[in-house]
Amino acid sequence: MVRLITHNLLACHAKGCTTNNFPLRLQDAAVELRDAEFNAEFVRGFLPRLEWKALVGAARELGDKSLPEEMPEMVDEEFLQKLHHVLLEIHIDEGAMVCPNCGHVYPIANGIPNMLLAEHEIA
Amino acid sequence: MTLDYLFVFAQAHEEFRIPELLSVAELYDIKITFPEDPAKADVSRPFMVLGLESEEDVKQLARRCILIKSVHEFWGRGKTYEDMFAMTRENRSRWDKYVADTSFKFRVEAYNHTIPQRRQREIMESFDWMDFLGEINMRNAEITLSVFEEYVDKHGTTRHKHEGDGDFVEVFFGRLLEEGSARKLIQTFDVKKRSYFGNTSMEAEISLLMANQTLASPGKLVYDPFVGTGSMAYTTAHFGAYVYGSDIDGRQMRGKDKTPGIMRAAAQYGVQQRIMDLCTFDVTRNPWRCGELFDAIITDPPYGVRAGAKRLGRKTPLTRPSQQYVANRQDDQPYIPPTRPYELSALASDLVLLARYMLKPGGRLVFFLPTVTDEYAELDLHTLLCEGMEVIANSLQDFGSWGRRLITIKKTTSEKYSPPTFDTTPVTAAPDTPAHIPAHKDFREKYFQGFKKDEPET
Repeated sequence: MVRLITHNLLACHAKGCTTNNFPLRLQDAAVELRDAEFNAEFVRGFLPRLEWKALVGAARELGDKSLPEEMPEMVDEEFLQKLHHVLLEIHIDEGAMVCPNCGHVYPIANGIPNMLLAEHEIA
Repeated sequence: MTLDYLFVFAQAHEEFRIPELLSVAELYDIKITFPEDPAKADVSRPFMVLGLESEEDVKQLARRCILIKSVHEFWGRGKTYEDMFAMTRENRSRWDKYVADTSFKFRVEAYNHTIPQRRQREIMESFDWMDFLGEINMRNAEITLSVFEEYVDKHGTTRHKHEGDGDFVEVFFGRLLEEGSARKLIQTFDVKKRSYFGNTSMEAEISLLMANQTLASPGKLVYDPFVGTGSMAYTTAHFGAYVYGSDIDGRQMRGKDKTPGIMRAAAQYGVQQRIMDLCTFDVTRNPWRCGELFDAIITDPPYGVRAGAKRLGRKTPLTRPSQQYVANRQDDQPYIPPTRPYELSALASDLVLLARYMLKPGGRLVFFLPTVTDEYAELDLHTLLCEGMEVIANSLQDFGSWGRRLITIKKTTSEKYSPPTFDTTPVTAAPDTPAHIPAHKDFREKYFQGFKKDEPET
């Protein structure tokens, strides 16, 4: 849980924190690999939503260097397989995600991130 | 070419039947021709003859629609056996190929009645004129010939077991194509047999019907913003979709074990891989980085009877900032921010706005809206719609003085919208056009007052 696809979709949403609030920095991440069924169509369909640099950065932080720095122009099956692995099979079960801008710590416990805001962080 | 097929439906959730058929038909690109005569399309009757383009389409519907009990190639119907036989004779081209040497058996059933064995035999013998030459084989017949007599509901009257035998409304005849296999899923997803559930868990049959309304299928991404104990996540994932869930109350998703409750139940159904992630947050303060992410949003928003909806904030705002308090806390317990109630009509309109932002064009929002039976008006739904969002199905589950409506809304626009602000300040209409107050407003209060009208005391 907290797969990298999810990490790629979450930004800090504290009041006033609107710039440099993504990607969240991973902290003390306990990583677990779990197989997921491959669906080429899904991975391909997700490409336009993806923040490539954030994904590559997070994967490298966790020790996975399978993805190239730049998104390749040629999207073939082999690339989709690699991307599938990074997006869906790397799980962060414990640790935290920290906002690079305001420093808000979003803790992850048993695979569930707590994205609740404190009272002073909401409008 | 379109041919006629006899559909036998479960007499449960009748208002959900046509929306479900249409959803599954859209999912598999199947064309259905409905009867023109309203009496023949009456959902209070379990039998309906529909036109379809191929046998494969019919079987596909029977494998996915929860409300289909069985499907048959349609050969005849009539108010009497004579009428039904006459029609069957005219449809000879549909059964001629079975006459020579196909083994067969009969299945004679009645709706709202039990046909005595003796007459069942008479009925089978009355088909002698078809001259089927193949052997009758009760175990391994190549084809099953189905006869259904439909009786009026005599529920609540005292009568002899077989009283009124033969006084049917109509009799139907055809060849069995397939038993509806999706109905078995109701047992599979039975809440009582689930390893994790709560007092707000949705019953299996409705969770399955909701999943069908989302057009769930492999590779789709579906989101439940009030996921609770995950009832709809399991059924949606069963049909192949990936599911995201979020809830303001993490305890609902977790339960007491180390492995979150939703993940344990998902493992029981073999769909844990498709639970994409679960997150704790208030959907009105959500961290989604962008919109147009999901193919569908499916949810049963808390409406205050068993669990009230909550959002971050306080009923009465503090005068001094809480910042110091949060920063200087001494204990090591996780910080739990204060919450305030989230009124249902505000929640419902917010949900539609959120869906417009978060859904891909053509995506669907499927949710339950509780309504007060005496007060509900079609207009209520319009109060929560916004540009680009259209109601495509609205099915009532009736509990008497109140009910809940399964609403399916489609995003018909491909415009880009900014994320909703979830402002609670109601839009004040111009004084000469009083805003319509939907009947689901303050539903919780109405429920606990037993839906009494505000009548002046005498």
